[in-house]
Amino acid sequence: MQLQINPGDELPIYRQIMRQITDAIVGGHMKPGDKLASHRELAAQLVIAPLTVKKAYDELESEGLIHTQRGRGTFISEEPPVLRPAEARERLRDAARRLLTQARLSGVPYDDVTGLLEEIWEDMKP
Amino acid sequence: MSVLEFRDIHRSYGHGQEVLSGATFSVEKGQVVGLLGKNGAGKTTLIHIAMGMLRAQSGRVRVLGLDPEKDAVEMKRRVGFVSEDQILPPAMRVKQVIGLHRDLYPGWDTELEGQLRQRFNFSDRARVKALSKGEARQVALLCAVAHRPELLILDEPAGGLDPAARREFLETSIDLLSDGGTSILFSSHYMSDVERMADRIVLLHDRDVLIDAELDTLRESYAVAVMPAEAGLQIGAISASPACLRIRERQGTLRGVFRGNAEEVRSLLERELAVQGASVAQVPLEELFVELLGGNS
Repeated sequence: MQLQINPGDELPIYRQIMRQITDAIVGGHMKPGDKLASHRELAAQLVIAPLTVKKAYDELESEGLIHTQRGRGTFISEEPPVLRPAEARERLRDAARRLLTQARLSGVPYDDVTGLLEEIWEDMKP
Repeated sequence: MSVLEFRDIHRSYGHGQEVLSGATFSVEKGQVVGLLGKNGAGKTTLIHIAMGMLRAQSGRVRVLGLDPEKDAVEMKRRVGFVSEDQILPPAMRVKQVIGLHRDLYPGWDTELEGQLRQRFNFSDRARVKALSKGEARQVALLCAVAHRPELLILDEPAGGLDPAARREFLETSIDLLSDGGTSILFSSHYMSDVERMADRIVLLHDRDVLIDAELDTLRESYAVAVMPAEAGLQIGAISASPACLRIRERQGTLRGVFRGNAEEVRSLLERELAVQGASVAQVPLEELFVELLGGNS
């Protein structure tokens, strides 16, 4: 899978990496046991500091989405952990607030936002 | 141990114009620190003080624990330096320039030299004056890093380069970082390069360090609020809040930079300062920089 980052994004780069890998797992583009690029490979590929890749991987690992096997590499975990419903909802609330702030800043009406959500929801269906 | 330490640095120029007044920060081993600030904020002055090219009128400077003036030779052996206006001897051939550096440094890594030569596209036989800006910078970078310095100091390393040459330079720096061990201090006006490279930011403003923070912390713990500039909304009251770093009026809106993530800032504005209708967002470095330092206060 090809990751892409944008230094001018609202999210710091390590969060962009985390989000894309999480999306890829949720969307089925990456499967349990798949190997991730090494820190060095991904840093060279995205032209970012290797420490940033390490930070993204460390966070994903602490969330249980990926795991590192010494000397072998980093892999997508077999059973991604399930968030507690309250925590999942809280995270969604944050994301939704960011989305709506963005919409307001760019003057996109609410109905267009919900339309967009439905469109993407359909796209993501397996 | 810090690889670079500035403590309470003061420096004025000729007619008493103060450039630095008490600047203090340090770079720890393995860190990549982006030194930011508007033109004239004193970035180059600080870098020249670290390199022993300029003396601080008071304060303490240590580079790898050494005094850049007294221990100049030892210090230069362990540090690499590239700057935008670095001048290589124009009449020399590339081969001679590199050879000169190779002889100068006991720790010269010929393998790394070979790798970089392969990656770069300058001709060995070309004279320095015939090189493009990008090629000359590549030669300078090679000379600055092939002795495997413990600390690399880059003053606007991408200044004046076209986007392709800039990217090439960035890629090379990242490869060097992957090899490990090198700490870097670099100044740059290209915020996207800073986002890619730096793990810490030191922002100079008004002759001193205004912000010294990890890049990700900075990105996630400062927010920009845009508020309608209506009657009753007092700039004074808002700027008196300790969380407010700067506020200014622009095109019918008030724009402010606040400490705190977007959620915290929104709640501060609504609950404590009774500001309604504010849009609050965490923003990329470039925007944060502009909001903090741009325009008139």
